[in-house]
Amino acid sequence: MRAQDWTDEPRPVPVLSGSAGEVPIVQGGQTTLVSIISPVVLVPFGEKWLVESRAAFEGDFTNQEPGNNFGGKVNKEIEYLQLDYIANKYVTATAGRFLNPFGIYNERFYPVWIRNLQTDPLILPLEGESRDGVMLRGGVPLSSEVNLNYTTFFSIQSSTNKLESDRGIGGRLGLFFPAHRLEIGGTVEHALVDDRANRFGFHVEQQPFAVPLEFRAEYAHGAEGSGWWIEPAYTLSAMPWLNTVMRKTQLVSRYQQFYVGNGQDEDLPSADTRVAEFGMNYYICDGFRATASYGRQFSSAGNQNVWTAGLTYRWVLPLGGGGRL
Amino acid sequence: MKCCCLFLVMLCVFPVALLCSSPDPKAAPVLKSKSTHTEWSVTEGEQRYRANCSRCHQAPPKFQPAAMGTLIRHMRVRAMITDDDMHAILKYMTQ
Repeated sequence: MRAQDWTDEPRPVPVLSGSAGEVPIVQGGQTTLVSIISPVVLVPFGEKWLVESRAAFEGDFTNQEPGNNFGGKVNKEIEYLQLDYIANKYVTATAGRFLNPFGIYNERFYPVWIRNLQTDPLILPLEGESRDGVMLRGGVPLSSEVNLNYTTFFSIQSSTNKLESDRGIGGRLGLFFPAHRLEIGGTVEHALVDDRANRFGFHVEQQPFAVPLEFRAEYAHGAEGSGWWIEPAYTLSAMPWLNTVMRKTQLVSRYQQFYVGNGQDEDLPSADTRVAEFGMNYYICDGFRATASYGRQFSSAGNQNVWTAGLTYRWVLPLGGGGRL
Repeated sequence: MKCCCLFLVMLCVFPVALLCSSPDPKAAPVLKSKSTHTEWSVTEGEQRYRANCSRCHQAPPKFQPAAMGTLIRHMRVRAMITDDDMHAILKYMTQ
């Protein structure tokens, strides 16, 4: 990057951002009060450096005997703590703990204030969580019609508390067509421990300009199993009545399937499973949202209903006045 | 298995090649050159903002410029928006 080109841009300052959510879930008659606070710290240095970190404090409180009071432990996790160096227009080098760049859900849609439905996709455990290592990534305009985005990483084995990671290598490629707001891409990972298994997946997302519709889908395959989800969401902004309310209202659905494989993962369903979900989000004001959903899960291990209702909030707090570069 | 390995090798080689590349001044046709200073129009920035930001989340409001400088760098890394998109969107969001 040419520093003299951007002298009128604001000087970045540290930012404390994050999200919070209170989303009770009733699954198969069992109520869980899910409370999440996820602070994000962003500290820029100079023109090319950024330290970014996100932690998660999640309490899953269930009905405890005796007394029928809700209780449970709070899980604390460092989701990412990474140092980014913007090497040039096309490459950013990252070192530290980062979100596993598999597919799109884990990296882009996981925070409670972003996700359209508060339940996780069944295949999310196949996408992994976080890794410790190094990563190269970036976006490259191939033409005025299409941008390419890529990520490639190498991660190390770690059993350090809160910094657990698996040794592996992998990468993701995506093609983004801005005029159609369409992205398609794929991911491959190769484990460098144990059975040296491969995982791969594909993703597609689109938000056509002509209609207030967004469409996301993913497929993932690993030794533990494979599955897919498809999630259309429609904002009612085109409705001719009650427009001030309707334009803040979003209808969402998701249909997904999971097929059990040969491997073991306690976070994945133990039997082939299908889930159909329907939900609604209402954006009360910037960053503050009410959300509710209903889903029906079909599985040979037993069918069940899944209800959610709650509030999510996102904040941004600059820690300085800034100026100009 | 071979396809996976080939894909991974390509993914490793690709960013290294980019790392060694120098930016092509003709690669961004929407740039308007003004001597050594490069400027994005607000309209261009708005278009790129609409194309990129609301793909994942509700379109954010205009935060104070210093915060936007940090947030756009964050999104460049996280959402892998291109360098050109980053500058155009920052221009739009800080007007």
